Amino acid sequence: MNRKSYLNFDFIILSAVICLVTISVSFIYSSGINADGVNTSNEYLKQLIWGCTGLILMMAVIFIDYKFLYDFSVYIYIFCNILLLITVLFGNKVNGARSWLGFMGFGIQPSEFAKIGTIIFLSAFCAKNKKEIRSLSVFIKALGIIALPMMLILAQPDMGTTLVFIPIFLATLLIAGAKARYLFFIAAGGFLTMVLTVIPVWTGYIMKQESYLLNILMNTAVLFNIFIAGIIIAALAGTGWLIYKKNYYYWLCYGSVIFSGSIFCSIAVRKVIKVYQIMRLVVFLDPSVDPKGAGWNIIQSITAIGSGGFWGKGFLQGTQSHYQYLPQQSNDFIFSIIAEESGFLGCMVVFLCFFIILMRGLMIACASKDSFGTYMASGIIAMVFFHFMINIGMAMGIMPITGIPLLFLSYGGSSLWTSMIAVGILINIYYRRYGFKI
Amino acid sequence: MSINSFGNGNIRRERVLFIALTFIIVFAIFISYLFSLQIVRWSEYMDKASSVSKRTTEIPPLRGEIYDRNYDSPLATNMDSFEISITPAECDKKELPGMISKLAGILETDSQLLLKKIPVSGFYQSVRLKEGVSYEQICTIASRIDEFPGISWNSRPIRNYIFTPSMSHVIGYVGNITADELHILYNSGYTANSIIGKSGIEKEYDMLMKGKAGQKRNTVDVKGRNVTDSNDTTPPEPGKNLVLTIDRHIQELCEKALGERMGSVVVLKPDTGEILAMVSYPAYNPNLFYTNASSSYYKSISLDSRYPFLNRAIQSASAPASTFKTLMMTAILEEKAFPAEVRIDCPGSIILGDRTFNCHLKTGHGRLNLSDALKESCDVYFWEVGKEHLGTEKIVEYAKKMGLGTKTGIDLPGEVSGLVPTPQWKKRIYNVPWVGGDTYNMSIGQGYTQVTTLQIADMIAMIVNDGIIYIPHLLKEVRDPVTREILETRSPQVLHKADISKKTFAAVKKGMRRVVAEGSVRGVFNEKVAEVAAKTGTGEVGYKDKWTSWFASYGPYNGKPKDQVVVVVMVEASNDWEWWAPKAANAIYQGIFGQQNYEEVVETLDIWYLNQGHDYIRKKSE
Repeated sequence: MNRKSYLNFDFIILSAVICLVTISVSFIYSSGINADGVNTSNEYLKQLIWGCTGLILMMAVIFIDYKFLYDFSVYIYIFCNILLLITVLFGNKVNGARSWLGFMGFGIQPSEFAKIGTIIFLSAFCAKNKKEIRSLSVFIKALGIIALPMMLILAQPDMGTTLVFIPIFLATLLIAGAKARYLFFIAAGGFLTMVLTVIPVWTGYIMKQESYLLNILMNTAVLFNIFIAGIIIAALAGTGWLIYKKNYYYWLCYGSVIFSGSIFCSIAVRKVIKVYQIMRLVVFLDPSVDPKGAGWNIIQSITAIGSGGFWGKGFLQGTQSHYQYLPQQSNDFIFSIIAEESGFLGCMVVFLCFFIILMRGLMIACASKDSFGTYMASGIIAMVFFHFMINIGMAMGIMPITGIPLLFLSYGGSSLWTSMIAVGILINIYYRRYGFKI
Repeated sequence: MSINSFGNGNIRRERVLFIALTFIIVFAIFISYLFSLQIVRWSEYMDKASSVSKRTTEIPPLRGEIYDRNYDSPLATNMDSFEISITPAECDKKELPGMISKLAGILETDSQLLLKKIPVSGFYQSVRLKEGVSYEQICTIASRIDEFPGISWNSRPIRNYIFTPSMSHVIGYVGNITADELHILYNSGYTANSIIGKSGIEKEYDMLMKGKAGQKRNTVDVKGRNVTDSNDTTPPEPGKNLVLTIDRHIQELCEKALGERMGSVVVLKPDTGEILAMVSYPAYNPNLFYTNASSSYYKSISLDSRYPFLNRAIQSASAPASTFKTLMMTAILEEKAFPAEVRIDCPGSIILGDRTFNCHLKTGHGRLNLSDALKESCDVYFWEVGKEHLGTEKIVEYAKKMGLGTKTGIDLPGEVSGLVPTPQWKKRIYNVPWVGGDTYNMSIGQGYTQVTTLQIADMIAMIVNDGIIYIPHLLKEVRDPVTREILETRSPQVLHKADISKKTFAAVKKGMRRVVAEGSVRGVFNEKVAEVAAKTGTGEVGYKDKWTSWFASYGPYNGKPKDQVVVVVMVEASNDWEWWAPKAANAIYQGIFGQQNYEEVVETLDIWYLNQGHDYIRKKSE
């Protein structure tokens, strides 16, 4: 490595990652301490091993030219999806989801790696179709690329991980230059579907009062009629637009398709997922409605975070965590134990590390010498950001419980390796920003 | 370096800015929310975090024990007992039913009953499954604790009454506090878990006996396990021990003397008001309230037509019958209404208006003076003198002077006051004027007059004390449960003080002595150990074949005041020939002054008709 390439290396993002992994191992160690001060878990050791191997993996990714990824993107994607398919069919069930694939005592979560695989393939696809990126057909094909792994992961079923693909898609296509209205269609449609799905549970358990408007949205028969009406309006407006080429026909059609599509999806989703799963999604709005059940995690997590104060209770001194009030401390609620023991100050360190990774990642996207690198970087930061927002938002009680890990910090080899590989790709892109172009 | 100058140049600047802005906004929201949680509302969550893991466990105090006047062996004590709880979260959902049925087998109860008490699994708070579990059952569970995840127990002593059933009316029983009771007593240191006296001494002196619950404060983890060894404990204060005025030997004697006859017996020390024995039959066994069969037993007692819960000595009143004649005699002498030595002829009946009043001896007593009339219990004499010479007003006045118609103030809940009728009362209640027949009836203790056994005992006590009634009481002393030192002694308190001359009382006492020495009970009464003065009574209840048999007495006749006792027996007899009250009283006197137990009494007096003793004698002779 000559002096120049040494300077090209992105040490800032690397130090942020090492900082996060150190925090991760420390607090996973803390989470294993029980009330008597005895360590009852070797999770921290495993995390340390995964952290070190992950670092090696990251280095390996950095030194392989990412052109290789471009060439093999379709095989990587296919391989990932085959793994997902095998997982759905033969995987091990953990916490109700068939998300683990184990061989020889070593288990991985293919859904984690599938995110990277999909990012690579989606980026390669967009780079290849850069010219027609604004067209609807490319957009729909890109949608198809994420739809396949999404469906396979949803079948596990792991809703949280499924949702991660949406921001990846949106960010990649946004940077690639897809039409804003298509992206908005996906974002608005997804959001509306979500809202319509949870409304019945929300009104039933959280609001505890009925309103006429919401009653309409809850009744499947009425909703179906509205859906039909929406289709008819869309069809008429579509026809009107084709004949008269007036813009307002277009937007009317656009709106009613979003609306009726969301209704259709929400009815479908309601058929698939169970009430208690929806309950988990909405309970953050008022955890006190079910303090011993779905609300328990949120209440204990907020209490842990809030009681941390500015300085925190001190490392290994958290009461919420060590008295086991805080559930899943080492993975989903790792942030809560960090916040409890290291306080606002420690949280700011974590936030800073993530902010560095994200901003640096965004800069790398801009700095990349080619579109493929840009898109991959966009997808990666979207993934990191989404995990960050959903997980910490959940811990603070302002986001639904979806059970997705906090990258770099949560316990779990697959998740940590995925994050390390992702950062490796970012550094790789940065490292080769002055090189050849595809 | 502007963004446009980066990389491959075809990235739209505003889209990058849009993403960057999204990041910044989300970070800003998260930081400000985190600031609000951790800094603005820190103390709120700090309290929550410490309170969630702080548990205060109540350590129940040991309830004071109850002793009789000898203070040697307790009448009511506390017995080791445990309650079994389960923490559902510690037990596997699938294994729960199997484990519960195993548990039910050990506890000898229905597993469905236990299962019903368990809320959703995953519940982290322990739930009480069963109370009144014995030490042996706990040992069985403890030795196989691996088979019972989530099961725990703690000590919760239960009350044990040793001297049942005759003490049940005096001592009463305890139970869990009800919502209504808690509502009233909330400020007196009771909690929802308190055990409270439900009747008798247990209720009357609950505040003395209940003690004060201790507290154990500790930090627990989510499964309720202690996580600190800090010994932050306030020890419970045990309740005070009570020493009753009851003498359990006399109580037992009275219980057996009364036998299985509905009625009551009161034995009272007239010079202090101390109650030596108070028996009411039928009674109940309060120990059964703390067993598995409690609800069915309670139900059967509640539905029993003989009202076993009723303490017939103080909670039911009936006509005093001829015992009232002692009061009449006092009034006649004190008021000088009629010369005591002047004789009145008893022809066996007397006609008032269109009604004929028959004396109990239909052939007539012949000519009688006052003392003879008392001895013979002649109705005609008292009708005549009561109506023509004494008058209703004076009878009422003396009845009230001698404590009838008002509560005696005994330290037991639920006492009734009885009734002394007046013309105004009759007018108010029945809207019928008082007639001569009413005075007749009242003069011989029939009609509307209602008294309790204890009131009659007090009336006799006034005669014995020459005009003073001390408040009858059951509490003798309050003692410290640990050091056994006396904390408080109940001293005699005057209830009624009548301004009646000693001469009058001396004459009445003499008259009562004649009842036993020369009168109708002469054949029944066998006075080997003490001379007794008494007045009998056979009351009409209102039903044809129902009578009340009274025996109001004191003895020894010429004894020192501190040795004297008043014995009143009231039996709700089902026939008029058995005439049980004097027979029971006879046995009681023999037992008290001969210092004998019932079996010895039966042997000494050789009274074959005391049926329980009958077997005893037969066994001895075999």
